[in-house]
Amino acid sequence: MQRFIHSMVGAGAVALAFLSSGAQAQSKEPIPIGVIANLTGMDVKTSTDMVRGIQIAADAVNKDGGVDGQPIKLIIEDAQYKTQEALNAATKLYDVDKVPAVIMFGGSSIELAVAPIAKQKGKIIVNTSSSSAKLGDFPGTVYSVLPLDDIVGKALGEWTAAQGVKSAAFVVPNNTFGTGLMDAAATAFEAKGGKIVAKIAYSEGQPDYRADIQQLVSSKPDAIMTTGYGDDSRTIFKDARTLGLKQVWYAGYPSILTVENEAWMNGHLMGVDNGGLSGDVAKKVGADYAAKFGKEEPLPHVFYGYDALMLIARAAAAPGGFSATTMAKSIDGYQGATGAIKWDVRGQRIDPPIDVISYKDGKFVTTGQQ
Amino acid sequence: MLDFLVFAVTMIAIWSVVALSLDLQFGLCGLVNFGQILPFALGAYGPAISAAHGGSISAGLALGLAMAAVGGVLVLAPVGRLSQDYWALVSLGASEIFRLLMVNVTPIAGGQDGTAVARVSNPLAALGLALGLLLAMLLLARRIDRSPLGRLMRVLREDDLLVATLGRNPFRVQALVTVVAWLMAALAGALYAHVVGFVAPSSFSVAETFIVWTALILGGAGSLLGAVVGTAFVQFISVSTRFLAAWSGLPFDLVANLRLGIFGVVLVLVFLLRREGLVPERKVRVDAVGP
Repeated sequence: MQRFIHSMVGAGAVALAFLSSGAQAQSKEPIPIGVIANLTGMDVKTSTDMVRGIQIAADAVNKDGGVDGQPIKLIIEDAQYKTQEALNAATKLYDVDKVPAVIMFGGSSIELAVAPIAKQKGKIIVNTSSSSAKLGDFPGTVYSVLPLDDIVGKALGEWTAAQGVKSAAFVVPNNTFGTGLMDAAATAFEAKGGKIVAKIAYSEGQPDYRADIQQLVSSKPDAIMTTGYGDDSRTIFKDARTLGLKQVWYAGYPSILTVENEAWMNGHLMGVDNGGLSGDVAKKVGADYAAKFGKEEPLPHVFYGYDALMLIARAAAAPGGFSATTMAKSIDGYQGATGAIKWDVRGQRIDPPIDVISYKDGKFVTTGQQ
Repeated sequence: MLDFLVFAVTMIAIWSVVALSLDLQFGLCGLVNFGQILPFALGAYGPAISAAHGGSISAGLALGLAMAAVGGVLVLAPVGRLSQDYWALVSLGASEIFRLLMVNVTPIAGGQDGTAVARVSNPLAALGLALGLLLAMLLLARRIDRSPLGRLMRVLREDDLLVATLGRNPFRVQALVTVVAWLMAALAGALYAHVVGFVAPSSFSVAETFIVWTALILGGAGSLLGAVVGTAFVQFISVSTRFLAAWSGLPFDLVANLRLGIFGVVLVLVFLLRREGLVPERKVRVDAVGP
């Protein structure tokens, strides 16, 4: 009986020690990480998918024991695609929630408004969606996992010319992303001997774009170069179909466009996109996305969000803890969902892998690398 | 937390001046300005244009004020003798024209990307400037409100024909009010630019105009204190729901939409229960002059 009591006491002590060590790990303060996205207003779908990518990454980090035992806690704020709301969200995150870093979904003008505040407070912004060159004016504060417009634009222009296209028209949203990509693509296309016959920059959020794209009927380009976002691109495609346009669409980031009519678009939409999305990490993230959020096809922003949080976690786990220095080094040896990441001295992404993708039989398929 | 409160109060003070400016136009004078964001934007773009072209802060401020004063007259001139429906439409159109001009003509002030301007980096200094501006503008508006001009503005609000029969030129009164009110909003815009440190067209959309309108109607059109209380109320709901959202533990996308839902419900309830606004316009009592 005494032996039984001793063994029970011993087992209890072991269990207590085990539980207390577990409790110690669990009781460690979480690391708060801020997220600012447009969860209402414009770009809701893309913003939502970015947040989902961040959540998948946070789940993965926390499942592996967190950052040195500290779980990551996400604090998600809505910017409504408004500067004032983004400022309110950022000051709350930095001053009340005491986050060391915020992952942001722009546009550029919203991120650029928050950047001076982050810089003053010594905080970090990880940009997942904006591509203005001015983001590079905040080295040590703003780090981008999305390459700037000139890189993908140049790839689009050169690749389109290589397909034998002699003349092209542009249809892009009238924002930094759209016009920046258009300018870079046009320069590269013309340098290869191509001719630009029209440049159409439309105001986002319109229910009908026929007045904007009507001139494509008369200018008769060999092809149409484009980029844009979900709802707008769907309307553009519908209006182009209504007007009887039959050209092939060459797109920067075609996977973020929304096809309106599968049969009409089959084989008529292709372009260049971030190349990491066909890699193993992206496939794993895609599977996690399907498991957590259903069968819906993830947008590329899932993968940018995933990489943003993973880099923050790597920086936080580095000796010395999270800082601008460890953030800058977090990309060393990192193979992410969007491929290997390389930053210039300003923290802006350069040399991304580029894939060529086409829309066939109702889905986008990778057909090569550039 | 203190820094956050300082920032929130700074913003409330700045936007209160914009609401006060609208109160002078609509609340006291009956001018339906659906482009109220325009003078605010002009004031902000003064420093932005100056910064983009190597000018000084004082030059930027002067430019912003000049653009607002001239802009007010230019927008009012074509519709001054028409009904308020036209003034509403023209002011709305003018604000969008200016925003699109700033989007599309990059050399003016950076286009869609905007322009960085000198920033008031000390939050307490920014708060002091904002509260100082609000106090000064409140005193100015109060002075106007209680002057013969203020009484004339109220008459004009009710019946412009009556003003004409009194031997006054309604258009001149409207122009004077417009210039003064637009200068007030421009000062707020210039301060906003220097507090945020960045100016871009996305900050000056039509939606911002209607948030100012919401604040004014909520606070009580025609009441100077109401403009400030309404702005503070709108900002308070916007900010406080962020904390409620975090506390709820619901999915993030649902929370974002619920925030707007709560915002809308509270506004509707206040409109239903306090139709005259949170601080209704005070009846002006004037002793009858004896025979």
